[in-house]
Amino acid sequence: MEFDNNWLLSVMTFVPLVGAAIVMAIPKAEEELIKWAALITSLVAAGLGVFLLTDFNYDNAGELQYVADAQWISVINSRYIIGVDGIALPMIALTLLVVPLCIIYTMGHFPEPRNPKALLSLILILETGMLGTFIAQDLILFFVFFEVVLLPMFFMIAVWGGDDRRYASLKFFLYTMFGSALMLVSFLAMYFLADGTIVGDEANTFSMIALSDGATVGIARTSQLWIFAGMFVGFGVKVPMFPFHTWLPDAHTQAPTVGSVILAAVLLKLGTYGFIRIAIPMLPEAAAAWAPFIGLLAVIGIIYGALGCLAQTDMKRLIAFSSVAHMGFVMLGISTLTDFGINAAVFGMVAHGLITGMLFFIAGSVKDRYHTLDMARLGGLLISAPRMGWILGFCAMASLGLPGLAGFWGEFPAILASYNPAAILPEATFRGYMVVAALGTVLAAGYLLWMLQKTAMGTPKDEFVDNPEITDVKTYEWIAWAPLLALILALGLYPKPLFSTTDDAVVKSLQVNVMDDVPDCLNLDTDQGEACFDDLREQFEAAG
Amino acid sequence: MSEFLRSYLTVAIFGATGCLLVGAFVGLSALVRPTRPQAQKYLTYESGVDPVGTGWSQSNIRYYVFALLFVMFDVEAVFIFPWATRLEAYGYFGLVEMAIFIFILALGLFYAWRKGVLRWV
Amino acid sequence: MLNILAQPPTDAIPTPDVAWSGLMPLLILSGGAVLLLTIVSLAKDFIPRWFTPIYTVLIGIATGVAAIPLWLRVTDTPSAADPNNGPFATLDSSFGVDGFSVFFTMLFAAVVVLVALLANDYLRREDIDGPEFYVLMMLSASGGIVMASANDLIVMFLGLEILSIAVYVMAAMHSRRIESQEAGMKYFVLGALSSAVFLYGIALTYGATGSTNLVEIREFLSNVILLNDALLLAGFALLLVGFGFKVAAVPFHSWTPDVYQGAPTPVVGFMASAVKAAAFAGMLRVFWLTFGSYRTDWQPVIYGLAIATLLVGSFVAIVQTDVKRMLAYSSISHAGYLLVGVQAATNEGTATVLFYLAAYAFMVIGSFTVITLATGPGDAKTSLTDIAGLARTRPVLGIALTVFLLGQAGVPFTSGFFAKFYVISAAADANSYGLAIVAMLAAVVAAFLYLRIMMAIWLDGDEVADPTELAAAKAGIPVPWGAAVVLVVTVGFTLVFGLWPEPMIEMARDAVPALAIG
Repeated sequence: MEFDNNWLLSVMTFVPLVGAAIVMAIPKAEEELIKWAALITSLVAAGLGVFLLTDFNYDNAGELQYVADAQWISVINSRYIIGVDGIALPMIALTLLVVPLCIIYTMGHFPEPRNPKALLSLILILETGMLGTFIAQDLILFFVFFEVVLLPMFFMIAVWGGDDRRYASLKFFLYTMFGSALMLVSFLAMYFLADGTIVGDEANTFSMIALSDGATVGIARTSQLWIFAGMFVGFGVKVPMFPFHTWLPDAHTQAPTVGSVILAAVLLKLGTYGFIRIAIPMLPEAAAAWAPFIGLLAVIGIIYGALGCLAQTDMKRLIAFSSVAHMGFVMLGISTLTDFGINAAVFGMVAHGLITGMLFFIAGSVKDRYHTLDMARLGGLLISAPRMGWILGFCAMASLGLPGLAGFWGEFPAILASYNPAAILPEATFRGYMVVAALGTVLAAGYLLWMLQKTAMGTPKDEFVDNPEITDVKTYEWIAWAPLLALILALGLYPKPLFSTTDDAVVKSLQVNVMDDVPDCLNLDTDQGEACFDDLREQFEAAG
Repeated sequence: MSEFLRSYLTVAIFGATGCLLVGAFVGLSALVRPTRPQAQKYLTYESGVDPVGTGWSQSNIRYYVFALLFVMFDVEAVFIFPWATRLEAYGYFGLVEMAIFIFILALGLFYAWRKGVLRWV
Repeated sequence: MLNILAQPPTDAIPTPDVAWSGLMPLLILSGGAVLLLTIVSLAKDFIPRWFTPIYTVLIGIATGVAAIPLWLRVTDTPSAADPNNGPFATLDSSFGVDGFSVFFTMLFAAVVVLVALLANDYLRREDIDGPEFYVLMMLSASGGIVMASANDLIVMFLGLEILSIAVYVMAAMHSRRIESQEAGMKYFVLGALSSAVFLYGIALTYGATGSTNLVEIREFLSNVILLNDALLLAGFALLLVGFGFKVAAVPFHSWTPDVYQGAPTPVVGFMASAVKAAAFAGMLRVFWLTFGSYRTDWQPVIYGLAIATLLVGSFVAIVQTDVKRMLAYSSISHAGYLLVGVQAATNEGTATVLFYLAAYAFMVIGSFTVITLATGPGDAKTSLTDIAGLARTRPVLGIALTVFLLGQAGVPFTSGFFAKFYVISAAADANSYGLAIVAMLAAVVAAFLYLRIMMAIWLDGDEVADPTELAAAKAGIPVPWGAAVVLVVTVGFTLVFGLWPEPMIEMARDAVPALAIG
């Protein structure tokens, strides 16, 4: 279709916000109306998303599409630039899928204390924040949306959470804010140090397009390293990477079911997305210097998360720790700095969103029925609620990376990519990581099967025998879960569409487009690669 | 004697005359008056307040009005005296300025009066 | 006598030119205060209650409106048609009219309007109604205008004293509350001390440079190389102490928590917005504009002050349990951010301070409006447990306070976000990355404080309020109209400039100070 539709992304992003306003305007007593308004809003956004998916030009997925570029704060040259390419598209689709499902799920079972008005408007605001982060092509815009996501989630945990909700919500908020504080300083440093004139922008620019295209080549190596470090903390907290992960188990355990699902399915991806979209394309040289370290933290996360899982007694907490491990695989894929590894990472993000989101849904439903998630008390789900038991088994298999299900295509290529990282990276180190990560998959199988055994196998404990509350999957749960389950299977059997969507964009994100025939510094040996970046800087200085 | 020091001679003579005069009058009165010593007469005397009790005593809060009025008019005088000596040099500008100044001060007094703080109750 | 005056005097003292247009806002505000005093003295018994607040609001608006033509004039460049455009000075170069001073004039006018609207109901509720509050506030704000416009250290001191003395009295205004008396006394004693120090600083600077006029001092400092600048640096230090006290910078902050807690809440709103703004105006005028050529000497000191202020303000706030005290410490940490902007010592840095001050003024007045309404009569129930559950008992207040707290925490889509962002960007621009990082980390710590208040008003309160009380509270206590206007304006300002900060940033940029001679 050849019409100017650069409004599409904006409308899609802000429809939920409008919906939130409408929901807030409806009187509290009209509970059904509130629920339907929220659902319809999210479905409208999802409908626009479907249109986006059909209208998107997949042959040109490496380029930003639906770009809109408007004045916003001209004094600091921060513009309202939005666009979507092959990396952002799956993330947007994931968000647009998960939010309506969450709303459907809450419509069937509302967490205490009730107050659908507040919860649903928070979910819708959250959706705007998440979509905004994925479409933003300006660092300030990105940062604003990135931060907007914080508050609704904070309130969701603090109001509808478990017994320890205060602590968990504060920890979540402060950790993330700590990370983004450093990230903002990094953004500003880049703004002042980069030279946008190289790529035909203004000298000081927040435009992610200009900065990824090579406006940053002139920044001195040390500055690059520091800037990257700031972003590393910001995105790393959100992922979360190993030393910054402690907020995650608390937040997940305390959050209401839909909060956990959104957190796992989308929010964690904001961090990895930041690495792929911002940190690596803008500062490839620093990325190359940091990559071994990131890879190390990633494999520590894989092992630590897995061991953490084995030490849990609470099912939800176990799933939360499994997130740490899975995001470790994603980060390992990213740290290889190869298109193969990063494609795997994007796939891993989508797969993890679907699978872990699904696991949290099940954990929520189990909690509703049993009023506990203590695995010592659970058991026999296959007898008391056979369908749910099978779904849990299916998701556990997907999560441990069984070939033929989505999880496999996130983990396996990431491990494979670390056998052969970008030439500039130390090969032996990454092969070491590969071995450790492969061990991690074994551990993953261990803890997931252990969880399955504790909860689904065996016979129900006496206290839960013949409990009328323990029913099988209900209709609303079927509606909310079916799309996720279908996608887990579909992507597992036929992963090509997703890989081919992301591939061009990933390849492009690893290139420096500043001049016509720029050598591919990342694909040279360590010494040559660093010399290559130095050359590039000198060339730029000579030209400028 | 240098010219500079000579000018101080006037000051010295002036001071000496002053001391002499005070001494003369105090001495004269000591000669002519009757002397009947009493303990009461040797007490420290300050603004009508008897020095009774410890040094830490509270004075009547109503005195604050005097304090305020004193500060008000004292400051006024400090500004008005030098201004008066140079009125020609300031011209009409100076006259208007001082009128505004006095007006504002008077307004304060007027306000205090209307507020009822000047009544000694 | 008159014929003496009529003769041309032989040794006439030259009368300074008075550019009345430049003084107009100041004259309206201070004249308005004096006039109000006259009216109430003359016709005390005939004046209806609503007159004084309405009058004050109108005077405030008139001040702001009078500043608009000035703003247009001073921010324009001189052209053939209007050769008078651009910054100018009057009263023998002692009163500068530039974008900077006019910006502050408008800010003070806005503060006067908002606080007058808020105070109307408060004063009646506390039974301390009277014109005095309004008169003192207008006078204090005129002092602020003088400070922001001063081109001479003596005039600056004059402004400082007019500003401060009125605020001392306002702090002690609630005559039946012992805490208010204590606040007034504490503020007065420490304030007098800081004024004295400031004056000593002026004396030393005068000794070192031979002038009190900022223009002349700047000329002197840029033309003469001092062999021994000890006197000058001592002057800098003492002036900085004076300003540091007024802006509540650590280590001159110790009065802040007590005064904020004790003083009547609307007065605290005025102090946190106008007094802080005036002090920063003075600081920028003296340090950045006048002592700019010696910035390498004072920048490190402000750097240190900023770090101490940020850290103490945000960390000590954590352990507080009284909301007014919490906001006092938060105002200290905001002073730290503003110092970050001052430290940058660039035009951009100055603009960031102005933007921050404007954004903060509205947020803090809004916050204290909510506190005024939420704490109820007596002004004493200000602990965190007293306002627990506010968002459920009085949702409007709860939502408004949430907006202000988020704004102060620097969350996006509020003006506070851009204020913080802009200040940090100035620091980054000046290569003070260390300071920028400390400031951002302090923001995280400070966020904890705001989250605590937010949690208290949204999540607590079940155990405090029994259902009948809750229902009664829900049904009743309307928000008075004056306070309602304040809330609408401040929430609107915070959100609108959070989405679209451009116009405000433009204004702050146009408002760079200039030392004009006139």
